[in-house]
Amino acid sequence: MLKKKLEALGYPTPSDLALSNRKDFASTILWLEDQKIRLYAIEDREILRNVDNAQMWEDGYLKYCADLNMPSLGTQNEQLAWILGHAIRLEFLDDPAQYESINSKQTLPKINGSQPHQQKVQVIFEGKMNVDDKEFIAGVRTLAGQLNVPHHPNHLLQLEAVARVVHERLSPAARGRQPITGTPFPFDKGNDVVSANDPALDLPMRILRLLQIQSLRQLQTHINETIVSVQNLTANPKTDTKLGKVGF
Amino acid sequence: MVVRSYNDELGYLEKINDHCWKIKKGFQPNMNVEGCFYVNSRLERLMLEELKNSCRPGAVGGFLPGVKQIANVAALPGIVGRSIGLPDIHSGYGFAIGNMAAFDMDNPLSIVSPGGVGFDINCGVRLLRTNLFEKDVQPVKEQLAQSLFDHIPVGVGSKGIIPMNARDLEEALEMGMDWSLREGYVWAEDKEHCEEYGRMLNADPAKVSMRAKKRGLPQLGTLGAGNHYAEIQVVDEIYDKWSASKMGIEEKGQVVVMIHSGSRGFGHQVATDALVQMEKAMKRDKIETNDRQLACARINSVEGQDYLKAMAAAANFAWVNRSSMTFLTRQAFAKMFNTTPDDLDMHVIYDVSHNIAKVENHIVDGKERKLLVHRKGSTRAFPPHHPLIPVDYQLTGQPVLVGGTMGTCSYVLTGTEQGMQETFGSTCHGAGRALSRAKSRRNLDYKEVLDKLEQIGIAIRVASPKLVMEEAPESYKDVTDVVDTCHAAGISKKCIKMRPIAVIKG
Repeated sequence: MLKKKLEALGYPTPSDLALSNRKDFASTILWLEDQKIRLYAIEDREILRNVDNAQMWEDGYLKYCADLNMPSLGTQNEQLAWILGHAIRLEFLDDPAQYESINSKQTLPKINGSQPHQQKVQVIFEGKMNVDDKEFIAGVRTLAGQLNVPHHPNHLLQLEAVARVVHERLSPAARGRQPITGTPFPFDKGNDVVSANDPALDLPMRILRLLQIQSLRQLQTHINETIVSVQNLTANPKTDTKLGKVGF
Repeated sequence: MVVRSYNDELGYLEKINDHCWKIKKGFQPNMNVEGCFYVNSRLERLMLEELKNSCRPGAVGGFLPGVKQIANVAALPGIVGRSIGLPDIHSGYGFAIGNMAAFDMDNPLSIVSPGGVGFDINCGVRLLRTNLFEKDVQPVKEQLAQSLFDHIPVGVGSKGIIPMNARDLEEALEMGMDWSLREGYVWAEDKEHCEEYGRMLNADPAKVSMRAKKRGLPQLGTLGAGNHYAEIQVVDEIYDKWSASKMGIEEKGQVVVMIHSGSRGFGHQVATDALVQMEKAMKRDKIETNDRQLACARINSVEGQDYLKAMAAAANFAWVNRSSMTFLTRQAFAKMFNTTPDDLDMHVIYDVSHNIAKVENHIVDGKERKLLVHRKGSTRAFPPHHPLIPVDYQLTGQPVLVGGTMGTCSYVLTGTEQGMQETFGSTCHGAGRALSRAKSRRNLDYKEVLDKLEQIGIAIRVASPKLVMEEAPESYKDVTDVVDTCHAAGISKKCIKMRPIAVIKG
């Protein structure tokens, strides 16, 4: 995914990015600030330019993160993902008209799809709380941090993810539930092919499909439970061996 | 009918790859599309020999060779894609058994043909798993076979032991497995793991003749004769560990029960009635076919619609039938092992139909189209993530149950994406005859056949032993050849192999 984002930004060597190497990471950050983000004036970027002096660069980087208003993220990977996302957002906002044709055709359904989500949360808090209040946002971020829910730019979506984690894992019903037994099915071992040569596409597709299968399974289980409760009223199986010739 | 020498005939056949042959237009008159068939080298020899024999001067009578039948089907109005022969193909009434063909629902000239479904409408296979292992069953094998034989009515003219009156039958024809569910003969999960969820919604019992209902009523819940059987099998080989585990099959030696049955005399009567109606319709609508046996009617004509509704009722009959036998099997096992079917984990793995016509959506030439898919001696094999397969099999693909010949092995395959593209999501259904019934009766002795089974340690109970040689392994193609061809051609994937330890037969 990082590679896809780097490609989108026109990074010269998107596939050679070695994340284990802090120096490479530093040059990537510098490139992003120089070419795309431009948060600082050119002369203020000096603090990020000391790629060879690790200590000085780390100090500069910490300040840079704070100035970018980056939420506190654990790993270097997450930080890079966030900065890349930020850069792409800026790039897009520079000239939204340029992307209009893609927007209207391909991402419009997505925008439509996310609206009910936003509304869902908003409706709950309607008239009781301002969901765009700074304190509210900070509260959501803290809660998410404690539950290890990944960062999302839209705090309402993140709140929904938090709600889901609470519902699935922490609610009294979930705590009382029997743990699922049986051999787990490794999800890359199915017979389905998504895109074998593109892991960046393959993995998220599989995860989305698994989520779809999970909700289908829940639906099917509800159907079965309903059938069983109806059976309690209607079922009366009987056999009468006098009726037929059995086993000549 | 064109008369050509064998060598001239070969000019119309072309081997595209190791497992597939093309039948070019012109092989039979008026072909609208090309034909094709899937074979390996051994099955190929059988196929071509059959054609060769029919080219000999003076060869008359009997069915046309399979290749010719595929080509005649390709000449039917409204056919799309190709007329496809699966590896287990053998001559049948009109359509060869093991032939699938799809017709465009949006073409007003497209037809539906009872010959493309077969006389045993919704003949199919159901597989039940258990949590027993071979070592649990071997010592009581004979008693268990006897117990099954005592529970499931078998043989020509056998009668069901589940009380049914005419009203029950009407309801069962309309509701299919939902009737069995309502009456409590099956579990909710059984419906989930059944093709079409065990019910064709367009069934209309009013379109079924009195005669068919009279034949059907006493036969509901009976196994029947012919190639139908109930087998206790043992998992012999697992090729695809993860898919098998999704089906609840964890290890070699696990015991499963396979039930192969259909709609008995009921379906036969529905098909016979329809053929009479269709001959009239053909004259009226001036439909011409290469073979009189390919009687058909336009899908949108009264006769076509009536047949589809009656066929759906017969399909429902078959599902109720297999469900009733599932109930009886569970009872037999529960009594034998002094426990409940639940504790024996006797869930239905899947239930397939291999004689049926269904409306399905497929991509043809890059466009989605609504087709009437005829599968005669051919099993649906949908790929992973297809919306019409149960949620439990979304990752593996639809299970395909391939029953072998009495005394040989059976297989479970899974559907593939390639099969969806090449064969409208269809694959083989069984071994496929090599010798005709009459020929097997002449050449084989029933005592020898039974002795042989006993020697390899299979407990057998037969209602009409004198018909057993029709079903002897020698009368059939090798099911392993058939399944290997499907696997190698990529139209389905091998998952599990089972071998029988006890057989109940009509």
